[in-house]
Amino acid sequence: MSGHQKTFRNRVKVSERHGAGEWTAERLSALALAPLGLWGAWAGFELAGGGYAGALAWLAQPVNSTLLVLTLLVSFWHMNMGFKVIVEDYIHRPATRGLLLGLSGLLCLVLSAASVFFIVRLALGSAPLPAGFGA
Amino acid sequence: MNKPFSPGEAAEDQTGRFLVQPNGRVRPLSPHLQVWRWHVTMLASILNRMTGGALYAGALVVAAWLLALAFGPETYAAFAAIAASPFGLAVWIGLSFSLFCHLAGGVRHLIWDAGAGLTPSAASALSWLSIGFGVLATVLFWAALFLTGRVAL
Repeated sequence: MSGHQKTFRNRVKVSERHGAGEWTAERLSALALAPLGLWGAWAGFELAGGGYAGALAWLAQPVNSTLLVLTLLVSFWHMNMGFKVIVEDYIHRPATRGLLLGLSGLLCLVLSAASVFFIVRLALGSAPLPAGFGA
Repeated sequence: MNKPFSPGEAAEDQTGRFLVQPNGRVRPLSPHLQVWRWHVTMLASILNRMTGGALYAGALVVAAWLLALAFGPETYAAFAAIAASPFGLAVWIGLSFSLFCHLAGGVRHLIWDAGAGLTPSAASALSWLSIGFGVLATVLFWAALFLTGRVAL
């Protein structure tokens, strides 16, 4: 650890690497997801049995589409961190561990982008895909 | 010194499980789950990790729902057919339990991280509370869904 300068705050050594930041990020996202998760359950209740038209009407309301984007983005972030904790506990081969973490990170990024893309289209009432993409 | 592994050592070892260290030495593995008396904080911890893993899959289901919606009524009908099947219903019930259980488990951990509820009795009480909330909320959620006619078998 010679390359790192040791600093202390309130006589407690400040983390030299990014572990403390990850710890805080896990808690912050959990704190945000507590109300968002409850809202998600309520959303599921409202959407159940509503069918295609019901889902479109639900997503057309800005409150719902905004909260859904927020919930999903924080969820993807949180679950990527949770997956990392599990993988670091059970997978000991550095190559396998790195591969799994890389794949999960990539998957969560793709899920984030795709979800926002779909929700924006649905909220704006765009024609069903692949409209606008060669069809 | 570097004693080579002999089968005789396995009989005396409590775990009977060995690990080859990176330096080539064989060392007994420290005891795992099977030697501990079951405790509710253990159960709550394991449940929190399992439900978290299930919710990872649940996020994929939600993304698939959005994809099906975005591709129009025909694609959505295919999704809805699976979602409304008995298999789909079982998945939704599992996911709702995972959501409520993991949510309560997360709040429990936030309380612990704040430095509160860390005595053995308080920790057990919080664990029971979070598991109880998960079960109760799931039962009420599905009772409401069936009673309001939103879901039917």
